Amino acid sequence: MNYLRTQTVVCLAVCLFAGSVLGQNRRRRVDLTIPDVAKKDIICFALYTVHDKTLKLTAQLYPLSSDDERTARLEVRRNGEWVEVDSVDIIEQGWTAPFRVNDWDDTKSHQYRVRHGASAVYEGTIRKNPVDKDELVIAGFTGNSIQPVHGGDISRQDIIDNINRVDADILFFSGDQVYDHNKHYAAWLKFGRDFGDIIKDRPTLCLPDDHDVGQPNLWGESGKISTLKGAADGGYARPGVYVQEVERAQTSHLPDPADPHKIGQGIGVWFTNLNWGNVDIAILEDRKFKTGPAGRVPKQGPRPDHIRNPNYDPKSVDINGAVLLGERQLRFLDSWANDWRQAKMKIAVSQTIFCGGAHIHGAANGRLHADMDSNGWPQSGRNRALAALRKGFAFHYAGDQHLATIFQHGIDEHRDAVWSFCVPSIANLYLRWWEPLEPGQNREDGAPDYTGDHLDGFANKVTNFAAANPEKKPAGKLLNTRAAGYGIVRLNTKTREITMECWPRNVDITAPSAKQYPGWPRTIHQTDNYDPPSWGKLGKLTFDVDDPVIQLIDSATDEIVYTLRINGKSFTPHAPKKGSFIVKAGKESASKVILSNARVGGKAVHVDLNE
Amino acid sequence: MIRSGNTLSEPKADFYAMLCLRLGAFCCFAGWAWVHYYWEGPYGGLLWANSTYELAESFGVTWDDFVGTGADDGLIQKWLGRLYLPYCMLSVLALTASKESRLQKAGLIFGSGLLSLMAYSKYLNDQQQLPTLIEQGGQVLIPTVLVLALSVGARHRLTLIVACVAFLATFAGHGSYAVGLWPTPPTFFAMTSVILGVDYETAKLLLLIAGILDYVVCVAIAIPLLRNAALFYAALWGFVTALARPVAGMSTSLIFWGADQYIHETVVRTPHFMLPLFLYFAWAPRQLKDTT
Repeated sequence: MNYLRTQTVVCLAVCLFAGSVLGQNRRRRVDLTIPDVAKKDIICFALYTVHDKTLKLTAQLYPLSSDDERTARLEVRRNGEWVEVDSVDIIEQGWTAPFRVNDWDDTKSHQYRVRHGASAVYEGTIRKNPVDKDELVIAGFTGNSIQPVHGGDISRQDIIDNINRVDADILFFSGDQVYDHNKHYAAWLKFGRDFGDIIKDRPTLCLPDDHDVGQPNLWGESGKISTLKGAADGGYARPGVYVQEVERAQTSHLPDPADPHKIGQGIGVWFTNLNWGNVDIAILEDRKFKTGPAGRVPKQGPRPDHIRNPNYDPKSVDINGAVLLGERQLRFLDSWANDWRQAKMKIAVSQTIFCGGAHIHGAANGRLHADMDSNGWPQSGRNRALAALRKGFAFHYAGDQHLATIFQHGIDEHRDAVWSFCVPSIANLYLRWWEPLEPGQNREDGAPDYTGDHLDGFANKVTNFAAANPEKKPAGKLLNTRAAGYGIVRLNTKTREITMECWPRNVDITAPSAKQYPGWPRTIHQTDNYDPPSWGKLGKLTFDVDDPVIQLIDSATDEIVYTLRINGKSFTPHAPKKGSFIVKAGKESASKVILSNARVGGKAVHVDLNE
Repeated sequence: MIRSGNTLSEPKADFYAMLCLRLGAFCCFAGWAWVHYYWEGPYGGLLWANSTYELAESFGVTWDDFVGTGADDGLIQKWLGRLYLPYCMLSVLALTASKESRLQKAGLIFGSGLLSLMAYSKYLNDQQQLPTLIEQGGQVLIPTVLVLALSVGARHRLTLIVACVAFLATFAGHGSYAVGLWPTPPTFFAMTSVILGVDYETAKLLLLIAGILDYVVCVAIAIPLLRNAALFYAALWGFVTALARPVAGMSTSLIFWGADQYIHETVVRTPHFMLPLFLYFAWAPRQLKDTT
């Protein structure tokens, strides 16, 4: 019995210890209780976009009581008077009011207000389309942890102040606006309380990612139901109605989807484009159609989606039938890359970047050779996506990685595809480091060893130009030792230059002394997004009109190599050294054949498009 | 072989009761040994915490030693990978431990400790949802119940109390999730929808019913008239829910049909149906006395 008594005491001690630890953790939890608000404050925030003369605005409301009115009204101020332009039924699952106004006049700004009942009013500004501005400023965010342990309880006021200082034209939230896997609605309201002051006055792109839809990683597999913990079997872990509510809250204000057919469980799609300020932005869903790896690729590590074995054969995981963007989205991208109406520059936004952009994952779990949650896998799908993007010289803006990086991607050779900027997390939930074991090749003078040409864990060709690695040892609540921050991208439609800025938190970014993360800022030219080192130049083309659209077609295959609205009246097309090419041109679309057998080293040609 | 409760003799009842405990503990340890060997133990929430680093540092372990330099593994990776060994040994102990060997019994108590640590880490991984901690009571406590059964007998009051705690924890935790007192894990809906081919609303209703029944069996085992029915239902339901993972997830289109992804999910849950069976056999002779 003495022995038993000892065991009982030990068990009790363990229970007491566990109880005290549980108590501590409970105190550290974030309170996501939805606040009781007065009727006049029932509208939490509103998001909008304007595209192709259509305004779409979604008002997010706090829960209504049973006797509250179920309609919301949208009014705009015209000649000093408030005029109702739309009225909609409020959708109770998520309490959203999605407005739509066709024939919107985007040549001027409008004051708007959303109204509910007799007293609730929420006001903001619908901006004019900034086609007369030379520079479009897009602020990019990802990873909005609200946990104190990540510094997530620190005020976002520094972000609000800085966005107002630089007067960003567009806000881009790449994903993980919400980390709570069960209470999206409550956390979304908190997101609105934190960022509503800047969202209400400018177009905002919100892309729900894995955590937003309530799972740690997402391989959507066109709406399949996932049953494996971790969801690496592909599909959605939360019920379809939950995902629909998330997408309604975060994306119903986006321009209409390019291909609106639904996927499994009645989940919608939202991939589309937004043309704003002469910049055409492809909004992509790089998770929704992607294949889950569990049981489909040979096991290479401690999780179905992780590869720890550095000696594995990368080709063994590039399996037949594995999807990344999916056929529907690739068809959209092909069409989008050729369409330069009202566009001088193109960028694509999506949740994450098209490579394995980190080597060390987690605070302590060490080196992963490759992570199939990244868009580096499946490699064939990654190459198809990049090949589609580079045809339109599209710069890629994304997040998700919790690690800010700049990469130029390669398909057949290093640096033959688009550039990407992955922005840092608002508050960093999970640390990652870009830390290759070998120094990169062809680095710039004085650049760190981790920059230069590399192969990622899937043997994809990548060239790193910057990485905002966090400190090696996590530093609790401090934001910037965890490499928190946000990105600013400036798209100059006059010079066609793209400038990437990467800012830490709690810095006045307009102060002369303000410093960005090492490696930033960096400026590239639009055409750097498709300028393979092995290519040569065709003869110089001069035109009788400004900024025509030109298109290069491979004569042998009839495939479009690229389409571009050039800057000014002259352009020297670049092309593979072998082969001959058809060159087409036009004022709004490349409709006229101007050369039918162009080769590298050809003669200069003058083209009249006004004929 | 299960007979009606009032015809089972004490030696036979003891034999079957011990068999249930040994099989339950063996499968639980063996399943987790497989997870640690082939996959990775679920220790993320516990190890990736500042307090854990600080604890390691207080023992003089440097940062690089602890997490690795990146080029090599640190203590965490090395030792996590080796944890399958103690689990393997514990699974053997579950079958071979004898009443006389204090060392073997201490080993099984250590096994309960290891499982407790893992349960706590899973609780952290699950965003500190209390039912995650509670529902693992069956797995965590079955080695302890086995030790008590070896030490003082399968039908001793203390053994039965701890077995009941383990049983109640498992079913109350599961029920709390199923009825939605805490956010229902998405896999519950997913498995119900996939296996039965029902929509979300139907799955929600079925889970609500199953959750209520989880609570009902927790109460019913205290009522002698209902006890046997409750225990048989609990054993059946524990078996069905354990089997649901492979049934919902495995497919002939996957490598090994997905067996390496799902089978262990059933194996580690063996205590969920072995504990009710144990209680049935342990109580059977008492019921015989009551009826005579």
